[in-house]
Amino acid sequence: MTAIDLKDVSKTYRGKVHALRGVSLEVMDGEIFGLLGPNGAGKSTLVKIMMTVIHATKVSGEILGHPIGHTQTLQHVGYLPEHHLFPHYLTGNQVLHFYGALAKVPRVARVARAQKLLDRLGLSGWEHKKVSTYSKGMLQRLGIAQVLINDPKLLILDEPTDGVDPVGRRVIRDLLDELRSEGRAIFLNSHLLSELEMVCDRVGIMVKGKITMQGTIESLTSDSKRIEICIAGTPPDWVKEQCNEIKENTIIVHGDDPKFVQPLIDRLRKEGITICSIRPVRETLEDLFMRAVDYIDQPGAIK
Amino acid sequence: MVFRALLLDAYRQLSAAKLFWLTLGLSAIVVLVFGSIGFNDEGMSLFFGLTQIESDLVNAGSPWARGLYIGIYSSFLVTIWLGWIATILALISTCTIFPEFVRGGSIELSLSKPISRLHLFFMKYAVSLSFVVLQVLLFCGGIFLCVGLRIGEWNWGIFYAIPIITVFYSYLFSVCALVGMVTRSGITALLITGLFWMGLFSTQTAEAILNTFVTEQKVTIERLEEGIAKATEELAELESESLTDMRIQDRKDRIESFQKDVDAAKKLFDKIDVWHRPVTWGIAVLPKLGQTIGLLDRWLDDGSGFDIAALMRGDMQELEEFDDLDPTTRGARERETMRRIDDDYSERSLWYIAGTSLLFEGLVLAFASWYVCKKDF
Repeated sequence: MTAIDLKDVSKTYRGKVHALRGVSLEVMDGEIFGLLGPNGAGKSTLVKIMMTVIHATKVSGEILGHPIGHTQTLQHVGYLPEHHLFPHYLTGNQVLHFYGALAKVPRVARVARAQKLLDRLGLSGWEHKKVSTYSKGMLQRLGIAQVLINDPKLLILDEPTDGVDPVGRRVIRDLLDELRSEGRAIFLNSHLLSELEMVCDRVGIMVKGKITMQGTIESLTSDSKRIEICIAGTPPDWVKEQCNEIKENTIIVHGDDPKFVQPLIDRLRKEGITICSIRPVRETLEDLFMRAVDYIDQPGAIK
Repeated sequence: MVFRALLLDAYRQLSAAKLFWLTLGLSAIVVLVFGSIGFNDEGMSLFFGLTQIESDLVNAGSPWARGLYIGIYSSFLVTIWLGWIATILALISTCTIFPEFVRGGSIELSLSKPISRLHLFFMKYAVSLSFVVLQVLLFCGGIFLCVGLRIGEWNWGIFYAIPIITVFYSYLFSVCALVGMVTRSGITALLITGLFWMGLFSTQTAEAILNTFVTEQKVTIERLEEGIAKATEELAELESESLTDMRIQDRKDRIESFQKDVDAAKKLFDKIDVWHRPVTWGIAVLPKLGQTIGLLDRWLDDGSGFDIAALMRGDMQELEEFDDLDPTTRGARERETMRRIDDDYSERSLWYIAGTSLLFEGLVLAFASWYVCKKDF
């Protein structure tokens, strides 16, 4: 089932600044979708539109089967804003109870979930301490706990690992895996490409208010698959006919099927050329991102 | 569930700011000082008998003791303590509620919950006011006990101060909430609310002064025209009896002098009325702070004629005793002016005082809620 189905979402500020220009995307249940993009691309605006924090200039589509803006649907959505701010006078436990109550979670359920979540996110022992004493990473983990207090079917997380140490990131990543396996849909906004690469089933790349690429990392990078053969010394001239590219002492053959490079390897060996390494290479998410963005000197929305 | 959560959150926010407890503590001291006033056969005692003031009029069992005790509550504690000091403290405590509510990083968390923006805004507003209700309730509870124990009167009317002060506070808090949301600054909200309050106070004081002048001129014109008619009548009578009567010239002088005063009063009236009318209309659509607080005096009046505010002004006299004297004298005209002004204010309806003020508040809240609903946070 489709958890998020956005069609042609546009947002224009004061009739001049086009923050979003006809964004369409889908996120399925049991899937982690990552949205990437440079600063000012419109990622947070899109998230805020889904969460009714910002009014879209034009929008159609659904969240959990209800039109965007349907307030009661939010009861089944967990949202972690970027740079979220919890009331400094509350303790961790009180934060969960407060936002749980706003999400209309009955007290009994809140009590049961709050402690479990605090334990799961490594915050046990801190539940009765004021959040003003929490570190950035702890606040982020508490934010994740807040997202889960209403047992949501859809999680929308804006920079969830921002400020979290490697151990905390691992905890969050494992938690996301677990949540996905429970069939929940997860929408991630992040700058940390390596993090996204590790957890996302599909990604979308947003540039200047538009989604320029969308799909599984595998499908988006399949064209870039290649086998690189590194040899000692300069490759002989005949190699050019049997490969796609030569970079110094590296011979590059496009594709990922090993049988295509066997004759080349055999001939290199026959001629006594030392093969230092043979490795299949695929474009990383960062490479993909840079390609999609086509590096922008002036990040930001189009005016 | 949501309202309860917001209530608890607001309590924690105020409690963390400490000012809530400070106000409550000061209120307790005020109640204690009030409760230390007692009455005995010789007069009244202060500070639990530490000081004795002897009086034949105000002593145990005298109706004026009741008037004095209730009067201290309605004219001083409510007007000065609740109407000024506690209100300022409450505004300082609550001015950050709405700026904190719309603060970036916090508002997203609230708006992403299954509650409409309008609902959330009005619940937050109601929750903020409920703390004033709580403060005044505790204060009135203390006063109720003091009055009951000291003069044996269990006067439930004391609790009228709760709706009065809450409504009074809400006129100001609506402005504070609106400015706080638009500017996202508690200090700015507090300053603008303070200026608004001062503006209202000045306008209402100006209206009261102009009203006094206008009423004074009206009374002067009426009384002197009556005096002229009476003197003319007497003159005709005297002239019909004897043309050499010494009193004839006196009557002529009086008529001439009265006429001069009437002309001067009419001129002054015309001049002041030009200002008085627009100010009166302006006041009609603005919150009426002083008059709202004054409702308590009206509702607690026992008809004994004891008025502590008048006593403090030096006006505590039986007005009727002067009725036989010449009504054209300055003193008689001043007394009539005061009487008419008192009547004017006491006859102003609840609709005029609270209704129009709440209408103003409603407009401010309508604008604030429109802002909350339309704003992209």
